[in-house]
Amino acid sequence: MDWFVANSVTMVNGIALGAVLFIVAIGLSLVFGTMDVLNLAHGSIALIGAYVGVAVLGGGASSALSFAAVLVAALVGLLAGVLLAVLTTSVRDHLRQAMLTLGVAMIVGDLLLMVFGGDVKTVPPPPALAGSVPFLGAPYPVYRLVLIGVGLVVGIGLWLLLEKTTIGAVVRATVNDRGMVEAIGVRTRLVLAGVFGGGAALAAVGGLIASPLMGAQPGNDNLMLVYALVIVVIGGLGSLKGAAVGALLVGEVQTVGVALLSGYASFLMFAVMAAILLIKPAGLLPSKHGHGGGH
Amino acid sequence: MSFLSASFLRKAAVVPALVGAMMLTACGGGSLGGGSGGSGGTSGSVKIGLSVPKSGTYAALGKDMEQGFKLYLTQNDNKLGGKTVQLVETDEGNGPQTGIPATERLVTQDQVSAVVGLVNSATASGLANTFNQNKVPLIVANAGSDKLVDTPSDYIWRTSFTNGGVNAPMGAKVKEEIGSGSVYLLGSDYAAGKEQVGGFKKAFTAAGGKVAGEEYTPPFGATTDWQPYLNNVRNSGAKAVYVFYAGSEAVGFVKQFKQFLGGTGIKLYGSGFLTEGSVLDAQGDAANGVQTSLHYSDQLDNPKNKEFVKAYSDAYKTSPTVYSVQAYDAANVLAEALKKADGTTGEAIGAAIGKVGQIDSPRGTWSFNAQHDPDQKYYLREVRVVDGKRVNAVVEELKAG
Repeated sequence: MDWFVANSVTMVNGIALGAVLFIVAIGLSLVFGTMDVLNLAHGSIALIGAYVGVAVLGGGASSALSFAAVLVAALVGLLAGVLLAVLTTSVRDHLRQAMLTLGVAMIVGDLLLMVFGGDVKTVPPPPALAGSVPFLGAPYPVYRLVLIGVGLVVGIGLWLLLEKTTIGAVVRATVNDRGMVEAIGVRTRLVLAGVFGGGAALAAVGGLIASPLMGAQPGNDNLMLVYALVIVVIGGLGSLKGAAVGALLVGEVQTVGVALLSGYASFLMFAVMAAILLIKPAGLLPSKHGHGGGH
Repeated sequence: MSFLSASFLRKAAVVPALVGAMMLTACGGGSLGGGSGGSGGTSGSVKIGLSVPKSGTYAALGKDMEQGFKLYLTQNDNKLGGKTVQLVETDEGNGPQTGIPATERLVTQDQVSAVVGLVNSATASGLANTFNQNKVPLIVANAGSDKLVDTPSDYIWRTSFTNGGVNAPMGAKVKEEIGSGSVYLLGSDYAAGKEQVGGFKKAFTAAGGKVAGEEYTPPFGATTDWQPYLNNVRNSGAKAVYVFYAGSEAVGFVKQFKQFLGGTGIKLYGSGFLTEGSVLDAQGDAANGVQTSLHYSDQLDNPKNKEFVKAYSDAYKTSPTVYSVQAYDAANVLAEALKKADGTTGEAIGAAIGKVGQIDSPRGTWSFNAQHDPDQKYYLREVRVVDGKRVNAVVEELKAG
C-alpha cells in the first residue's frame, strides 16, 4: 500500500504521457489499417507539429495563440498526410513504402534543422494551464492533467466517428474489403487520402501538445516514431482500442516502470513489447476486421 | 488484401529496435595514424589546425570554441608568438568516426605544427597515438574525460577541465549547506555523466555527506520525462539533488525540476554545464537559484575577463561561454610556447608548452599540472537575473576538492 501511495502520482503521469502518445500513434495505426501503408515519416509530422508551436508560440503564449497553433498544426498535418497519400498511392510493397517514407523523414528532418537550428526549443503551454496544483500531496503541472482529458475526448470522438457514422462505416468497410467498397461506387482513394490526412493531422496536433513536455529538437521525430511503432505493435495494427491500450501501457512502462527499474530504462519498453509479441503475436487487441493470416 | 500478415508483424517489431539503435551514438575505437612527421612552415609563419564540431549535436559548442580561438588571433594581428598563423580548419562532427579521420588529415596531409580543439573525449583519446608518433602537439580545448591518456607526453595538453575535477569542489560546499541532510544524485547515463556525478559523490561522501539515491537516465535525448525520477527523489526524503545534464537534457530537467519539486524546499545543485551557454535562455525562470560549479562565468569580476567579455561581445554580438575561453586560452598557450620555442616544428612547440608557466586567462591565472591538465580555480555560481538578463552570477571561489 505504501508503494501504491508513493507511486500514485507517477501512475497518473503515465496516463498523461499515454494520452499524448495515443493521439500521435492512432494515425499510424489507422493509416496502416486502411491503406496498408507503413508510414515511417509519421514521427516527422509530429515534429512538424512541435515546430508549429515554436513558430506560433515562441514569442510568448496566449490562449488565442495556443488555439491558433492547434488549428495551424492540424492544417499542416492534414496537407502533409494527403501529400504522403499521393506519394505512396502506387507503392504497394511494404519494404518500398518503408524506404520511401524513411527518405521523406530524413529530408524533412534536415529541412527542419536548417530552418529551426539544432538547439532545443521550448514551447510554452497555454498561460491558463501553465501552473502546478497540489495533487495527491505533491505539486503536479495542470497542463499534464488536461492532457488526460484531451486524450479521452479524442479517443471517444474517434470511436463515435468510426463506429457510429456512415463515414466510419465506409472507412471500416475499406479496411475490410477495398474491392467490394469500390464495387458499390465509393472512391476508396478519397477514403484513403482522408484517413491519411486525418491521421497526420492528429499526429501533428499530438506533436504540438507534447512539445511543452518534450521540447522541439532534432531527434524527437525518431523518438515519436519509435513510440508510435511500439504502441501499434503492442496494441494491434489498425485498431483504435488497441492503440489506446498500447499507449497507456507504454505510458506506464515509461513512468512507473522506469521509476522502479531505472537501470533498465533504455530497453524496458522494448522488453515489454517483445514479451507481448511472444504471447500474442498480433498484438493485444488487433482489428477484428482484418485477417490474421498471410496474403 | 490482408494487412496483418505474420511476416510483416515480425518486421514491424524489428523496426522500433532498429530506430532505437540508430539513435544511440556509437563509440568506435582509436586508429593509428601513419604518415610523415609534421614540420612547421618558414620562420615567419606557422600552420595551426583547428578541429571543432561544425555540424551535429555539438555544433553550437564548436562555434563558441572557434570564435574564442579566432578572437585571440584577431586581437594579435593574426599572429601567435610573433609568427603569422596559417589556420587550417576541419569539422570534428559528432564522434570518433568523423573526428579521428578529420583531425588525422590535419597532421598527416596538411602538416600542421599543432592542433587545437576536440569536444569528444573518445575522439581525443583515439588520436593520442597519432599526435605522439608524429611529434605534433594537440591542445584539447574541451573533451573532459578524467584520464585522456595514461602517460602525459609533450604532445598532449588540455586547457579545459576533467569531468571529476569540475564537480569535486562542490562536495564539501554542499555538505556545508545541507548539514545532516542527504543528497540524491542524477545524471546522464554515459561515461562523462558518470565521471561528473562521480567526482561530486567522492568528495561529498569523503566530507561525511549522505547519498539518498543515485540514478542514471538514458542519454542522448532518450529521456524527456523526469517525473518518475523526481518522484523517487521526493520519496527518498533528500534535501538536495546534484545532477549532471547538458544541452537539451539540461533544459528539460531544470524546467521539470521546478514543476515537480519547486516549492518543496529541495535544492538543485549541479555541474556548471547544467546552466552554461544557450541552455540558460531556454530554461527561463525555472533556472533561477540553481547553483553550479565551473571554472568560468562571463560574470567573473577581474580586469582580464571584463576586457575579454567586451571584445567577444563586440565581435560576435553574444556573451562568451566556458567553451570560448578554453579555446581562447589554447591560443594563448600556443602564443607563449611559440615565443619560447626553437623554431616552429611540432617537436619544438611541444617542448616549449611545458615551459609556458602561468597563463593569464579570463577565468583567472592557471598553469598545467603534472597530468598536463589545468590547475585552476572553480567557482560557485548561482543563476540570477542581473540588469534584466539571466546570468550565472559568481557567489564565491570554491575550495579545492
